[in-house]
Amino acid sequence: MVRNIVVLGGNSHPALVDSVCNALSLPPCNRILTKFSSGESRCEIQDSVRGKDVYIIQTGFGGNGSRLNDHFMDLCIMISACKTGSARRVTAVLPLFPYSRQPDLPYNKAGAPLFKAGSESGKKDYTFDSVPATPAPGIPKSAGLTNGTDITSKLLKTSLTNGHGVQSPIKQQNGDSYFPANGVNGTTTPSPVTRAGAYTTHDYENLSHIGAFQAKPGYKQWVAQAGTLVANLLNCAGADHVITMDLHDPQVQGFFDVPVDNLYGRPLLKRYIQQHIPNYKDAVIISPDAGGAKRATAIADSMGVDFALIHKERRPTKITDRQNASMMLVGDVRDRICILVDDLLDTGNTITRAAKLCKKEGATKIYALLTHGVFSGDAINRVQASAIDKVVVTNSVPQDKHKALLGSKLDVLDISPIFAEAIRRVHHGESISVLFNHD
Amino acid sequence: MSAEMANEIKLISGRSHPELSEKIAKRLGIEVARTISLNYSNQETSFTVGESVRDEDVFIVQSTATGDVNEGLMELLIMISACRTASARRITAVIPNFPYARQDKKDKSRAPISARLVANMLQTAGANHIVTVDLHASQIQGFFSVPVDNLYAEPSFLRYIRENFNPEDCVIVSPDAGGAKRATSIADHLNTAFALIHKERPRPNVVGRMVLVGNVEDKVAILVDDMADTCGTLVKAAAVLKENGAKSVLALVTHGILSGNAIETLNGSVLTALVVTNTVPLGDKVQRCPKLRVIDISPTVAEAIRRTHNGESVSYLFTHAPV
Repeated sequence: MVRNIVVLGGNSHPALVDSVCNALSLPPCNRILTKFSSGESRCEIQDSVRGKDVYIIQTGFGGNGSRLNDHFMDLCIMISACKTGSARRVTAVLPLFPYSRQPDLPYNKAGAPLFKAGSESGKKDYTFDSVPATPAPGIPKSAGLTNGTDITSKLLKTSLTNGHGVQSPIKQQNGDSYFPANGVNGTTTPSPVTRAGAYTTHDYENLSHIGAFQAKPGYKQWVAQAGTLVANLLNCAGADHVITMDLHDPQVQGFFDVPVDNLYGRPLLKRYIQQHIPNYKDAVIISPDAGGAKRATAIADSMGVDFALIHKERRPTKITDRQNASMMLVGDVRDRICILVDDLLDTGNTITRAAKLCKKEGATKIYALLTHGVFSGDAINRVQASAIDKVVVTNSVPQDKHKALLGSKLDVLDISPIFAEAIRRVHHGESISVLFNHD
Repeated sequence: MSAEMANEIKLISGRSHPELSEKIAKRLGIEVARTISLNYSNQETSFTVGESVRDEDVFIVQSTATGDVNEGLMELLIMISACRTASARRITAVIPNFPYARQDKKDKSRAPISARLVANMLQTAGANHIVTVDLHASQIQGFFSVPVDNLYAEPSFLRYIRENFNPEDCVIVSPDAGGAKRATSIADHLNTAFALIHKERPRPNVVGRMVLVGNVEDKVAILVDDMADTCGTLVKAAAVLKENGAKSVLALVTHGILSGNAIETLNGSVLTALVVTNTVPLGDKVQRCPKLRVIDISPTVAEAIRRTHNGESVSYLFTHAPV
């Protein structure tokens, strides 16, 4: 029994709240958290929080009929309510940090943007040495910049990207395509906009909107990055401390003015490998993209297991067998068990393509270990149809529905002991770093 | 390309009320900026900017779509933040219906003052100026440390009454004590009588007993309020007025939120008409409710934007409604 501590749960993950409270042997705080019929959140905290150490658990996951932005607003409102209710300290516990992935313009696998670029007007006037005019009455604004698309199209023709799919030298590989309809394997992309499944980074809920959008001529459109904003909003609501797990970008920690404890799911994943994967010493741990290499090498190193990396090649000069669309495997996996390790499974694009490549390279069995299993969009079907033999995720977001759909293909690890211990330690002012390296 | 000057009005529209943005843009003689808001499949909101806002005077129009308040708010915050990082000179959030305006006080222990939270969030995101219409409580302006222009629908309502009724036959009625000031102001301008209904509210969205203070006999009773949500209050008030001998009862309300069963409630009520402004998107409600009339507020908002941009006084709009 821990005293002077209040654990308050949001609506996003009640099961996790219960098990964390169980581990701390205290009841969750009584609260009313619903919506008024107008759509505004209604929050009433029914237990006293005066002078207490309050921990609010809300994960960045919308699903099962609830919305992510609702949960985030609920969290801010709860934090603010506890602050005005004279709580001594309010800690936001976000097992999955919302908006932690820095979005990018949607582009197809060949690297061509899905949004239409602005029409290229008047590019004859443009030279690379053009200097924007100083705006003044009567002088057209940014004379030299009005045809910026020219740069874009010039860049597209250089070797930075494949250019548009129709010109791509890669031919569609037939036969072993897992999702012919989605075109995950395909690189023939006559019209990127009309084709579902070709986009990367994030899937969109309604693709039809994208096609209609056109930037102003000469302007290269960009997507707003909400990570800093979310951090600032939590600060502004009054969070004194943030606990999260496996941030997609560790830099997000730097967006905050308050302490952020970034817990690791790594020990759990490691234990799973050791206990459930036979002959894991002979397996290969693979990072599906270069960004996750550090995460994967850390596990590989600590267990003395071989490591391989999948490189997203954007400029194939020569087509070899090692290549799957624009992906390339660095390392040897033939006749070995592959363990793909990453932090986040969102639409499942990266991981399923990585699995496919491993299979092609002769892997015997493929495990995918991920901290956060969001399974958004058609991820469930994609994973179901993929070469992955087993997906292992933590319950940082509710997994009941995913488990019901994926059955024995999905294993769920419980993170509530880690969070309960972190809460206990933060409350007592003990070191958290012990949690980072225990095995 | 036309000779554009720096620091022009950039009107950005959120997804909640594109019709209003279009009307404002048309009135201002400009185009809505090329931006697009979308949701990823993991439900995170994404905002793409398709034209430069550098050194421009940015106005972001976002209302609250009924049932989607948090989505709209988050989208607005992301839009503001994006414009700030894109070096906009000034960012004005045009929020015709301020979200969470009713949660403006700590009315019980540990109740959140969400209106203040929203105010802080807007400033944290980077809003330099707020334009809104008929704040539920004008004290909400005090939650901000940036200027807030609280426009009134009152001049539009006055015109509506003058055009449709003989003010001498009317009684202006406030459905609760809180709205008495708003109603008396209209009554004074029209030089008509005023009445008030006292109500008890045991729980949110539930209305208790009602008592009429004043005389409405053989008059057209005009209920005036700032928002109609589930319409429980309005309909009960209308019944009370009818019982007290009113010839007919209509309601003038700024924000027609009309959530829940509001439309059914209205259709079955003694109200002859509910007049709202288009601060909140009404969708198909106009078709579903023959009693619903809509006053276009976009001229007022557009004029406020124009005046704010040019550094002119906005207070003229508090008493006059541009046509």
